[in-house]
Formats: sequence, C-alpha cells, structure tokens
Amino acid sequence: MRPAGSDRRRRFEALAEMVFDPLQRYLRRRLGPEDAADVFSDTLLVIWRRLDEVPAGDPLPWCYGVARRTMANHRRGRRRHLQLVTRLEAEPVPPPVEAGVEDGDPELIEALERLPSADQEILRLWAWEGLEPRELGPVLGLTVNAATIRLSRARKKLAAALPSRDIGQDRAVSGQESVRHTEEQQDD
Amino acid sequence: MTDEMRDRLTRLDPMRQGVSTESVATPSSRKLLEDIMSTHVEESTAPRTTRWLPAAAVVVVVAGVIGALTLGGGSGEPLSLSAGVDNSMTSCIQFSEEVLAKMPVAFEGTVTSADGETIGLEVDHWFKGGDASQVVINAPAGMEALIGGIPFEVGESYLITANDGTVNYCGFSGVSTPELRGSFEAAFAG
Repeated sequence: MRPAGSDRRRRFEALAEMVFDPLQRYLRRRLGPEDAADVFSDTLLVIWRRLDEVPAGDPLPWCYGVARRTMANHRRGRRRHLQLVTRLEAEPVPPPVEAGVEDGDPELIEALERLPSADQEILRLWAWEGLEPRELGPVLGLTVNAATIRLSRARKKLAAALPSRDIGQDRAVSGQESVRHTEEQQDD
Repeated sequence: MTDEMRDRLTRLDPMRQGVSTESVATPSSRKLLEDIMSTHVEESTAPRTTRWLPAAAVVVVVAGVIGALTLGGGSGEPLSLSAGVDNSMTSCIQFSEEVLAKMPVAFEGTVTSADGETIGLEVDHWFKGGDASQVVINAPAGMEALIGGIPFEVGESYLITANDGTVNYCGFSGVSTPELRGSFEAAFAG
C-alpha cells in the first residue's frame, strides 16, 4: 500500500471541510440517521478515490451527485437484504427526517408526494439544497438544459397538483380586478 | 417569476434549522477522514467508468446487449435495451401486478435525450434487475420517438420494464403516473 501524497491529503481535507456539513444535511433529509452515517462515509471514500475528477470551480454539486448514487446503491442493497431476510410489508427505505408536519402545509406535502419521484427530488434539490439549474446538472448527471427543463416541468406539475387556491393567490383572482387588487396591496 | 413555491418547499426542509450536523473538527470526524485517507488509491490514473457501479456490467449481460451505445456525462455503463417490435409481450397479457412482478428489469427513469432512434434515460429508481445509472432504449428504425405507443419526451419520467433486454408494453411500461408507480411499488416490494 502506497501512502497518499501530502498534496492529495491537503486537497481532500480542504474539500471535506467544504462539503462535510452540506452532505450530511443532504443525506439526513433522505435517510434515517444510521443509514445517513453509512452513506456519508461511503460518499467521502468515493470522493477520496476520485479526487482527481472533482471539478475545481464548484465541487459541491458534483459531491451531491456522488452522494446521490452512493445512496441509491445503499438503498438497493438494503432492499435486496430485506427481500432475503424477511417478507415484511413494503418498507424498503427507512423513513427520513419527518418533514413539514409541524409547518402545517399538508397540501403541499400531499401534492409533492403525488409527483413522480424524479420530480420530487429535483424540487427538493432546488429548495432544500438551494441548487440552481446549472448546479442541478452535475448532481443528476444531466446537461444544464435538461436540468432546467426538468425543474420547470416539476414546478408546473407541483403547481397543478396543489388545490387551485394555493397556486399563487394573485393568479386565482380573475382579470383586471386582480391588477387593481395587487396594486392596492403592494406591501403584502 | 415568483419563488413562492420555492419558499414554501423550503419551509418543509427537515434540516433547515436547529438540526445540527457533526463538525469536521470532532475527534470522530477526524478519525473518519484519516481512515479514508489511509485507503489505497491509484493516484492520477483515475479510471472513469470501471470503478463505479461494478454491477452494471452484469446487468448488461443479463438484459442482453443490443447495442454498445454510451452516453456521456453519467457514471457507469448505461444499460442498453431494445424497444423491440417482436417481443414476447406484444400479444398483450392483461396487466396485473402479479405479471408485473415477474419482469426481470424494472426502473423509473427520466428521459434525457430522444433523438429519433434512441431514447436515453437517467435512472431515478431501480425496482429490479439493475444498477446502471443510465439506460438507452434503441428504437427500431421508423418508430422514431414513439415506442410502443409511449411518447417519450425529454424531461418526462417513465416507468419501464424489460424482459430479455426488450422493453415491455401493454401497460407494463409507460409515463410515470401515481397509479402505475403504485403498481410498481406493490409488485416489487418484495
């Protein structure tokens, strides 16, 4: 075994410092604590091995992409394990941190859950990880163009899945009346 | 454009505030990083595709390789499937979750390219029979982007099953709807 060079160690440590918190948050949003910890260390290991491929300018989206694929492998492995060991009722994935219950937005949660999982995920990446379309590409393995299209579609689907009164209140009010209404209430 | 929707979604974030993560400076974090940095690595050789998802190669063999197409930008070898014209399912067995559960390959994916004869999908979820992060469906000439009655559109999600490397239709593959996904989840829950 050849010890890694000090330059490589320095680069990894600097990167680890940058991604340590956001990657933990990313995984805890989607996995239970034990699985998140396992996937987190596996993700860091992959990043260490592929350090030469890390984009210089903005490494975090690339690292999210590694975490995403590591998590997908982990879930598949877990599901296979469950299939072998038990035929308990379908709960292949441990519940992630419970979201939104205390926030009183059940309509949004329900609308989100009705979307295809790919749409849900791109919306989470956009809102929770705060990624813009150009950053979503490296996470999802898409071109910026494709990521932009997917995000846009997902937003439309979510808006359509919400009860109509929830889709931007100004649009629910009709025609000219809405213009006057908006002008009068500018500081709302 | 208002970002009211983004704000509302952000308020659902379970990790938005007050939930701490482990600092990079704690002894256990330092130990984790040291353990990782002590693992052997082939510096500078950086094989791009062979290290990631080793199971993908097996899947390609199981599903039957129709073409050796590759997509750039992703990781691992994409799984190639044929859109087929003459597959065993085209006589349309009536859809049931029981039949669905017997499909050896099942995944949910998003179309990233549809250029006439090939459809590229990024896999969002494997239900069964694969590990590849990308799948290419080769449409026979003349079928264009309309395969088995499924209009593949870039950015749209689909639920796909395949048998012997060929996509199944007759309701066993299609646009990802809550109903179809519910059937997939039930059929492949184990």
